[in-house]
Amino acid sequence: MSEAIITTDRSSIDLDNCYNELTGVLDRRIFSDEAVYQEELKRIFGRAWNFICHESQIPESGNFFTNFIGEDEVIAVRDRTGAVNVLLNSCPHRGNTVCRAELGTTRSFFCSYHGWNFDLDGSLLAVPNEDAFYRNDLDKRQWGLVAARVETYKGFVFATLDPDAPKLFEYLGWVGRLGIDMMLVDGDIRFLDGVHKNRLKCNWKFAVDNLFDWYHVKVSHGSAFKVGLVTEDAMAPNDQMVILGEYGHGIGGPGLTHERQAEFDQRHAAGEGDPKWYDLHASHRTDPAIREMLGPIGFRSFGHPNIFPNLWVTHTRQMCLRIPRGPFETEIWWFNYVPADLPEAQSQQTIFRQNHIFGPAGFLEQDDGENWSHSTRGAKGTQSKMRPLNFTMGLGRDKVSNDPSGQSAIETVVNEHGQRWTYQSWKEWMQADTWEALMANHSKPPEGNV
Amino acid sequence: MGVDEQLSVQERAHLRFEAEEFLYREAELLDDRRFDEWLGLLTEDIHYWMPIRRTTQAKDVHLEFTKPGGMAFFDDDLGTLTLRVRRLSVGRAWAEDPPSRTRHLITNLRVTGVADNEMTVRCNFQLYRTRLNSEEDSWIGRREDVLRRVNGELKLARRNIFLEQTVILSQNLSSFF
Ligand code: FES
Ligand SMILES: [Fe+2]
Repeated sequence: MSEAIITTDRSSIDLDNCYNELTGVLDRRIFSDEAVYQEELKRIFGRAWNFICHESQIPESGNFFTNFIGEDEVIAVRDRTGAVNVLLNSCPHRGNTVCRAELGTTRSFFCSYHGWNFDLDGSLLAVPNEDAFYRNDLDKRQWGLVAARVETYKGFVFATLDPDAPKLFEYLGWVGRLGIDMMLVDGDIRFLDGVHKNRLKCNWKFAVDNLFDWYHVKVSHGSAFKVGLVTEDAMAPNDQMVILGEYGHGIGGPGLTHERQAEFDQRHAAGEGDPKWYDLHASHRTDPAIREMLGPIGFRSFGHPNIFPNLWVTHTRQMCLRIPRGPFETEIWWFNYVPADLPEAQSQQTIFRQNHIFGPAGFLEQDDGENWSHSTRGAKGTQSKMRPLNFTMGLGRDKVSNDPSGQSAIETVVNEHGQRWTYQSWKEWMQADTWEALMANHSKPPEGNV
Repeated sequence: MGVDEQLSVQERAHLRFEAEEFLYREAELLDDRRFDEWLGLLTEDIHYWMPIRRTTQAKDVHLEFTKPGGMAFFDDDLGTLTLRVRRLSVGRAWAEDPPSRTRHLITNLRVTGVADNEMTVRCNFQLYRTRLNSEEDSWIGRREDVLRRVNGELKLARRNIFLEQTVILSQNLSSFF
């Protein structure tokens, strides 16, 4: 390789050239540059549909849960009409945080600074001494909490602060919707109390990148294999499937080929034979209605969906949100679910897995953080940050196959298609000045050779 | 009936001495990375639990900790604790390779309950960890331990760990508390 390819010889980052989809080479300063980070907050988190919570987290009027859109804190609250509102958690008087708790129940949001009081839909109800001090000059209708646009998909609440964003359904597209549908293969789900939260010293994109990464599994999580907690077949199979969707959504990871699927169906029908690694997953998808919901390609995928930008859906019935806290820190939040009508006692196995695989003490996840934080560190070094990163695995070696249903996928071995798609889409979000521009100029998922 | 009414000062002093000896020795084994020996201090039915803590309004403070059986940072039995120890010696347990340097400080220790062959011991702790060049973590909290006499020796039968952090401010929880 020539020197020109392996160094970045510009003094400041150039968004148009920071990622080259033809070569799979990425300027690693996107993980450490403060100006890039500030633009991400505006152009990505400020524009996207951000996952906030599941409806079952706040079932009653007045129930609330606080979350973030980028670095802005928001309150998700159910109001007296039964609607879920997502409000910017900042009082318009002096900016104070009006809701200090992570979860709970309230009749209104009473600001602890001067006592402005906001209704569950954000409207300003009352102001102390409105008559004597404001002489009744305050137009309360103008001074409520900022309300985000809220839409739900099958119980999952998303919000956007951009009035020009498309509808959530359209935003998710078939790939984002498929990613969420994978949570629902045993019917409706309910939220389990308790979000695991911890903070890593890494750029949020390294955490996202990793969910498509089936190359790291045997190395990063080697100890879990060696003690027999997980098997190589199940955790790192060579049969991989990648599904790419508009606006950066993607699903990457294990996938059954037609042949293996047929094998499974036969074995399942006969109720016999050697169990295979995928039987556990595939057995949740034998119902024709579920296959119909996931589609002819989707039902053979057991990969990890990422709902762009930062929501990872797992096959342990968990969702992991990666919340940016500056270019060098990310909060990891785990939302845990079980099938809605599964009795508590039968939920224990799911809960056991959720508590022991992921989260900061999880057998797998405890070994991830240091890699991501040191990758971030590598994006800061005066010399190291000038050397781009390699995303070339499988580049130009695979083919997208389309199904008459409209679904498409790349069926191959372990690869970096999902990561490349994420950075390509990321670049397009960063280049676009408006939603209109993004809608007009974003890449459609690739066809043919990739 | 509280322990102070149940027992004489001498009896209480003796129990506290025993509890201190046990817990200090246990902490020493952990800090010396003698994890196999540490496992030997646990009863067959050990339950090792760290719930998730949340910020709540004063009136919702009953929601501060997640409940037993639900979501938790640790909800371990002897089997999973043994796996945690075993993985440290098989290679590729990167969270602890290079190994962390830890120091367990235990204070405010009190025997708060006695029953049959068990005593409940409450203490405050600080677990301090450094890693690599200069990475530093510190967890402070309170523990409720149940120590049981088995064949004349004290063993740890239950450990409830209540951290002061809501968002865990470290990249992982790969140490024993
Ligand atoms: S800042 Fe909220 S009332 Fe003054
Ligand atoms: Fe991992």
